[in-house]
Amino acid sequence: MIKTIAKPAQKKVTGCGECRSTCQSACKTSCTVGNQSCERVTREQKIDNERK
Amino acid sequence: MVHVFTYHDKHYIYDTGSASLHECDEKTAKYLSDAPVAFTDEELKEILADVNGLKEAGLLYADEPKAYPMKSGEVKALCLHVSHDCNLRCKYCFADEGAYHSARETMSFETAKAAIDFLLKESGNRKVLEVDFFGGEPLMNLDVVKRTVYYAKEEAAKLGKRFLFTTTTNGLLLDDDAIEFFNAEMENVVLSLDGRKEIHDEVRKTVNGKGSFDAVIGQIKKFVKSRGDKHYYVRGTFTAKNLDFSKDVLFLADEGFDSLSVEPVVTDIPELQIREEHLPQIEKEYEILCDEYVKREEEGKGFNFFHFNVDLEGGPCLSKRVSACGAGNEYFSVVPNGDIYPCHQFAGDKKWRMGNVFEGKLDKDLREKFAASCLFTRRKCDGCFAKFICSGGCSANNYHYNGDIDIPYEMTCAMMKKRIECAMHVLAERKSREK
Repeated sequence: MIKTIAKPAQKKVTGCGECRSTCQSACKTSCTVGNQSCERVTREQKIDNERK
Repeated sequence: MVHVFTYHDKHYIYDTGSASLHECDEKTAKYLSDAPVAFTDEELKEILADVNGLKEAGLLYADEPKAYPMKSGEVKALCLHVSHDCNLRCKYCFADEGAYHSARETMSFETAKAAIDFLLKESGNRKVLEVDFFGGEPLMNLDVVKRTVYYAKEEAAKLGKRFLFTTTTNGLLLDDDAIEFFNAEMENVVLSLDGRKEIHDEVRKTVNGKGSFDAVIGQIKKFVKSRGDKHYYVRGTFTAKNLDFSKDVLFLADEGFDSLSVEPVVTDIPELQIREEHLPQIEKEYEILCDEYVKREEEGKGFNFFHFNVDLEGGPCLSKRVSACGAGNEYFSVVPNGDIYPCHQFAGDKKWRMGNVFEGKLDKDLREKFAASCLFTRRKCDGCFAKFICSGGCSANNYHYNGDIDIPYEMTCAMMKKRIECAMHVLAERKSREK
């Protein structure tokens, strides 16, 4: 039995460069890109939520 | 590639090509790991059907993408070392207790202003820019921080751009004036606090050699309480002296801080340095923390631990994932005299000096070296399941431990992999509760 827990959503735009510099996010030592969310997706979701 | 791992009695499959996470039963996990196990015909048939179905859907054994890294040439972030001086004398400080192996000095407003001008000029079409006020202790130069923020906002508005500001502080000078300013202007504030009083006081000493916990905890609490829904991180460091650091993370959570990050120390001081023999205990600690983390989330008393976040559904695009942190290409640090370095961890090492904000140009060769550095130049990462999540690690750590920005430091890798597995377990548990 295999069940899928998570898979990437189709991205409308890639490589837009809007994401924050990783090391600015919190730790200042062990940068981890994967700990971040996509700035663009997050912003669009926020706008969608505000509209609802 | 497929990474199969077990967390307690849960079996997970992470497919690096598709970046998808699956949960499976023990026999499927063993089948995918080539571990010896006996199957009935029916069991094998079922496993193969599942595996083939996911393969056809592109969610298992998917080809690994070869995206181009993002190397636009635009500068988008600066770390401003507004104070190469500190009011603490932390034993493990990578910055030579604030002085960065040079004279103790603070940045003038003229230098900070030139740094802002440099960033605006080099930022191309980028609309959102970032500045991190760093030290030493930036609150020792709060007036320059304030003037720089106001200047940057004014200049950015003229160009249709805006700034996101962050400050990293030890909290010792975090008075009401600083709190009000931070809440008004800082997108994020990182507050250094190592955890339990005895742990914090052992390494984070005042100039007079006293532990600093009692001097900072009250103001940090007051600040966090006033912060509302704005971002902050209470950020600690663990060393060989507190390998039971899960207690420190939970202590901080119990003190009411709900946004936490605790990092392994970067030092060559023997009594504090994390060594290979510490790894089993560190991995165990991450599990202890992860179990409690999940439990608290279930009870509605969760908090945010930076390293237990992994956004597999809406995370960064692949171009970002292979680009690493951007140090030396789109992100730089500027020291008090205006010299530019690839990031704060390189500051003060003349070999890595890339220019000066008053000259307004960057060393072409060094910038190209950093621009070219990405996941695909970090060949040791080729066979690692975590590569599209960690991007090959921190260039500075790689250099300091292995003498090359492209050779990952194995100790960091081991801890990173464990944290990512924990983060995936946290994600799976969260998803299961949502159903």
